[in-house]
Amino acid sequence: MSLACVGLVTAALLLLDHKLALNLVPVAYLIPVIIAATQWGIWPATLASVAGTGAADFFFLPPLYSFEIDDPQEAVDLLLFLVVALVSSNLASRLRRETEALRQREKEIQQLYEFSRRLAACFTVSDLISAIQNYLSHALGQQAAFFVAMADGHFEPPKSGSVPSVVQERVASMIAKVAVPAQTIVDEPTQNVWLIRAVCSEAAVHGLVAVNIGSGSREIIDSRTGRVETILEEVSLTLQRLDIERAMEDARLHLQAQLLRDAFHGTLSHELRSPLAAIRGSASVLDSMPLIRRDDRAHSLVEAISDEVADLDGFIQNLLSATRLTASGVSPRLEWADPRDIVDAAIQRRERRLSAHKVEIEFAEDLPLVHVDSGLIEESFGQLLENAAKYSPSGSTIAVSARAERGRVILAVADQGVGITPDEQQQLGRRSFRSQRHQATIPGSGLGFWIASTFVRANGGTIDMSSRGHGLGATASIALPGPQTKAWADQ
Amino acid sequence: MNKSTNVVLLIDDEPKIRRFLRAGFELHGFSVLEAENAADGLKAATFNAPDLVILDLDLPDLHGTEVLEGLRSWSNVPVIILSVVADEDEKVRLLQSGADDYVVKPFGMAELLARGEAALRRYFKTATENPIVMAGPLSVDLVGRTVSLNKNQIRLTRKEYRLLHILAMHVGLVVTHDQLLREIWSGNQRDNIQYLRILVRKLRQKIETDPNHPRLLVTESGVGYRLQARLENGLEN
Repeated sequence: MSLACVGLVTAALLLLDHKLALNLVPVAYLIPVIIAATQWGIWPATLASVAGTGAADFFFLPPLYSFEIDDPQEAVDLLLFLVVALVSSNLASRLRRETEALRQREKEIQQLYEFSRRLAACFTVSDLISAIQNYLSHALGQQAAFFVAMADGHFEPPKSGSVPSVVQERVASMIAKVAVPAQTIVDEPTQNVWLIRAVCSEAAVHGLVAVNIGSGSREIIDSRTGRVETILEEVSLTLQRLDIERAMEDARLHLQAQLLRDAFHGTLSHELRSPLAAIRGSASVLDSMPLIRRDDRAHSLVEAISDEVADLDGFIQNLLSATRLTASGVSPRLEWADPRDIVDAAIQRRERRLSAHKVEIEFAEDLPLVHVDSGLIEESFGQLLENAAKYSPSGSTIAVSARAERGRVILAVADQGVGITPDEQQQLGRRSFRSQRHQATIPGSGLGFWIASTFVRANGGTIDMSSRGHGLGATASIALPGPQTKAWADQ
Repeated sequence: MNKSTNVVLLIDDEPKIRRFLRAGFELHGFSVLEAENAADGLKAATFNAPDLVILDLDLPDLHGTEVLEGLRSWSNVPVIILSVVADEDEKVRLLQSGADDYVVKPFGMAELLARGEAALRRYFKTATENPIVMAGPLSVDLVGRTVSLNKNQIRLTRKEYRLLHILAMHVGLVVTHDQLLREIWSGNQRDNIQYLRILVRKLRQKIETDPNHPRLLVTESGVGYRLQARLENGLEN
């Protein structure tokens, strides 16, 4: 092509007057050189320069139609032309390269822009993953695969795709954790370089991208790697945005739940307990009236009202405790308390429920004080007492004891009731668990033991339930942290 | 009581609660005033000089705590708080800002009457200076500093007597841990509730029939102790 250009220029110059042509020669032959340089690059331009020099000498410098030169001045001119042509061809071709690079960059930026627009439209991580795959493999024309991070810390290989086994093996050996470094790996048979890079937000690794960078010189590899890195940078930003959105959504839901629970709590404690207070109070006033006291039937009816109200209040108290647990967790108000006081208070509060049973209380000598929220422990112990009364026959004995054991204080309730099976034992700690055996016969909400165990745990204690088997009774015990030193004992 | 009729002021926004309180108090010889909000309550307390105030915490215009503070700024009238929350911190706060005692809803009339009468007794005690306090089988001579159980004099250590003395001055009423610690101990021992627990144990061994199941010196968990005015038998009221 450059030779054709030179020929064209020569023909054009030949048509002109020889004298005029001679003046135009150096300038005219620069035209094909510049054209070749801008259009086809440095080598065609050099060829055009040499060809132009030759043609000028052959056609226009005396002696005509020979490569010899008579005038040494003209020889110098011709050499000068050659140098100028070579230099300008070099300059022009560099200009062309830069324009091309610029155009390429513009294209890349355009593609990235498209990609980030797609990312902006992503609302879930899986949307994002498909966008990455799509972009890497189609828009960039590069082979890419996405390995999804699994919950167990490994990466799930993609279902389809042509990822070489070397890459697969490497990925399989990697563990999903934050800050997995980027790696490159060479696939020997094809000499292709694969880049492996984690896609992660601040909180978690979502997966790995493996991209075929292709083969070639170090610079090519580096520039392609740079491109992929840029894309993944975008992806990370989008992931962070998704994380933030999800966190905000979670916070909003949490707040709603919190408000609902607070409302429930408020309603329970005020709207339900106020009428109860009026009923209980009115019944107690009735009960003290001489008119009622004289009449046994009326008296027993009033007593029935009081009893039922007490039951109902206990039930509401349970629900309140449960909502309190779910709402904010428990923050115990720790103080040194006498375990005897706790046990006594719990028994006294449940006196009516325990009235059908024989309650035997045994306190060990030298019981240390315990550092707990006595209200919470009293409530927990009360739950155990209530369960013992519920699941053992009337007239049987409920043995209550408190003892110190290896620096801890154990409060125990042993009954002579139905006992529990190992299967039931496993499920005990669950909220609302009620054994199939008793669901029809013994009323309850299944909240009691759950509340008790949560309260005890909040106080740094443990709760345990054991039974020698079905029908052999059960022993529930609370172990509380005792004092570390005996320093308090000497007053 | 000393007067022919005591006047009790009920400050509670629930008409049904006021109704049974009125019946209960009237049945026991009180004359009853009612107020359904804090403003009316404070007005009635100013103009009618009641002998006892029963104050609900949930009032439509002001929280009961503020009413209590307002009342305490110029009056010593005994105040019993009606509270729905079984929150020990709040009970302690109320007692510290001048409430004489509290009952947690739902409560029985007998319980409230016992508290009210104990508060009235304490209020009039300062006026009449009767030095002997009776609590069931226990009698404490606050001037002679002697204690007898079933008419037999018993010996107490200085600290044990101090504890019993404070409780006897408030017989029937709750006394907070803080107050007991402050009045019995000095210096940095004041903050140590363990000392108090141990002291209570020792005192119980001398005055209770069964120290493991005290009926005279009872624990108000998370709040303090109470010396019962009389032994209660069987079920709680």
